[in-house]
Amino acid sequence: MPVSRRRTIALASAAIAAASLGRRRAHAAEPIRIGAINPYTGAMALYGGELTNGYELAADRANAAGGVLGRQIELLRGDAANPQQGISTVEQLAGKVDVFVGTYLSAVANSASDAALRYNRIYWDTNALAQNLTDRGLPNFIRSGPDAAAFARGSADTVTGLVGPSLHKEPANLTVWIEHEDSIYGTSIAATQKTLLESAGIKVLGIGAHSAASIDLTDSVLRAKRSNPDVWLNTGYVPDGNLLLRTAREQGFSPAATVFVGTGDTPETLNAVGAQSLEGMLVVSYPRPDVAAAFGPGAHEYLEAYRAKYHHEPVAPQGMAAYVGLQMLLEAITAAGGTDMQKVRDAAAKMDRPLHSYATGFGVKFDEHFQNTRAAPTTIQWQGGVPVTVFPKLAAQPDTTLKPLARG
Amino acid sequence: MQDLPSVLIAGVLLGGIYGLVALGLNLIFGVVRTVNFAQGELVMLSMYGTYWLYTRLGLNPYLAVPPIAVALFLLGLLLQRFVLQPLQDEPMMQIFATFGLLMLLQNLVLGVTGGVSMGIDWPAARQVLLIAGVRVSLVRVVALAALTAITIGLHLFLRDTMPGKAVRAVIQDKLAARAMGINVERAYLLTFGVGAALAGVAGALLTPIFTLSPAIGGNFILAAFAVVVLGGLGSVWGAYLGGLIVGIVETFAGYYIDPALRQAIWFLIFIAVLIVRPSGLLGQVGAEEVGFREQH
Repeated sequence: MPVSRRRTIALASAAIAAASLGRRRAHAAEPIRIGAINPYTGAMALYGGELTNGYELAADRANAAGGVLGRQIELLRGDAANPQQGISTVEQLAGKVDVFVGTYLSAVANSASDAALRYNRIYWDTNALAQNLTDRGLPNFIRSGPDAAAFARGSADTVTGLVGPSLHKEPANLTVWIEHEDSIYGTSIAATQKTLLESAGIKVLGIGAHSAASIDLTDSVLRAKRSNPDVWLNTGYVPDGNLLLRTAREQGFSPAATVFVGTGDTPETLNAVGAQSLEGMLVVSYPRPDVAAAFGPGAHEYLEAYRAKYHHEPVAPQGMAAYVGLQMLLEAITAAGGTDMQKVRDAAAKMDRPLHSYATGFGVKFDEHFQNTRAAPTTIQWQGGVPVTVFPKLAAQPDTTLKPLARG
Repeated sequence: MQDLPSVLIAGVLLGGIYGLVALGLNLIFGVVRTVNFAQGELVMLSMYGTYWLYTRLGLNPYLAVPPIAVALFLLGLLLQRFVLQPLQDEPMMQIFATFGLLMLLQNLVLGVTGGVSMGIDWPAARQVLLIAGVRVSLVRVVALAALTAITIGLHLFLRDTMPGKAVRAVIQDKLAARAMGINVERAYLLTFGVGAALAGVAGALLTPIFTLSPAIGGNFILAAFAVVVLGGLGSVWGAYLGGLIVGIVETFAGYYIDPALRQAIWFLIFIAVLIVRPSGLLGQVGAEEVGFREQH
């Protein structure tokens, strides 16, 4: 009996130990849950879904490689099309997720990251542009993508590094008209463009502001046409950009170079304006999957994975920046050994990868406000109805040639 | 001043667009005496209809005008009969109902399109006329010509036909019109149907000019309301004149002062007109009380 009792005790101990191990294993297998904040309904849903496609592809890639810290990555969608929804969706998800990632809507990113801080959750921003998001110094806010200033720099670099040489003009002989939609988005980019261009010795003939909801932009086009610039530089949204292009065509305004910032590189513009009218136009936007492998290693693989999973072409280049942003977040979580807010922040502060480490050509090095200083847009040119990456030189495919810049 | 002709013509053509959108709104405003907040959404619906007919069936947007107008006329009848007529004695509720329609139609289109901006690159929309050395877009000229023709047609309809006279009688005094044996409900039905059909015509004619989004109706409607109040409530020629004034003032302000101030300038004029002549430039005195005066 004593033997039997000892055996019973031993068996019971083994059972308890096994159960305990099982619990530990179950805990180890618990996925890392990421709340993906984006508009999935409403007028902004198209790009919200596209960003989350990028997140999903990055999560799939990590899961196929065995996950992060031995845990699978699971995405939970949080629908937010305005700042109020940004707060409520974070509050709904905070108990279920370990970290938040999102969105291209700066106002939503602002309120959602604020709400996430109350739950001590990292808010990893991949696509919002507003400058003030990082300037707030929020301890949970980290931006992996370019900000508005990076877009302003990208467009100024395009004028000085691509347009000037193509037109065989020195900066002192180059003239620019800056046009922008009149919200804080367009206004802040235009102000930075003016500073950068003038510091490069380029003459800014004037700045025109218009409402993105305008019914008519003839006056804006006539003002730009009157100043007779070499370069017509516009920052805005799709509808006003399309209307500007149509009006410029009607008014016979075709300066030596037209450069759009942020939009104008998608089928929404191609279908509305036509390949002929777009021919030669430059667009500064998020890097596209057609970048050269030396510039953006993995861009082609992203495109293949996207096509395989969604059975269509990417809707917009923003998705690849989201894909890369989530990759960076997962690297930070790996380095931090978990999702603790302070540890992830410390790990992010130490991240240091050179340019051209990711599919978008980004590197990673955060400044004191946790803005990635190695994230920048690229420039495409419309060639025969296809947006072709042409600038920076390293981003262009080796066989790419620049077509005449004057719009068709 | 060398751009003066260009700016003037651009303003007149913009006035044509505003007048086209405001015409149906003004008719409904003047007769049914309700503020149809969903009028911009009716324009938006017809733009999507035209887009669909062009991209799926290859139908020329101008040939799409008749079927779109008929479809919108029928939709207008349904809206008046089943949404507004049950609320006939509650003008405020009618206004809320039209606002509800606005939300419904906008979100319906949003659900169907997924929020993608759509536009057609119609070859005719690229045509430019040279008038006295000024480049003028053909599709905008057509919009102005259509507005002129419709305004004349509507004027003759209201002046010379029995249904038109019935509508005018209802505009002047609903109670007296009913006492004279006029079927007021039928006049309302006809008016709302025609008002919606005019939105259909506007939408079809404007599709080649604009990039479509579910919220595009809202871009037109604010100016259209100003046009209606400025030109004169319930006055057909008021919408025409108001459209031209708003279009010209907006373009001049945008070109010679600052594009950012273009709407502020005509809103100043709008407020001045409201103070000096509340019924609008061509409106019937007292018509400004629409929707608020007790109606029987």
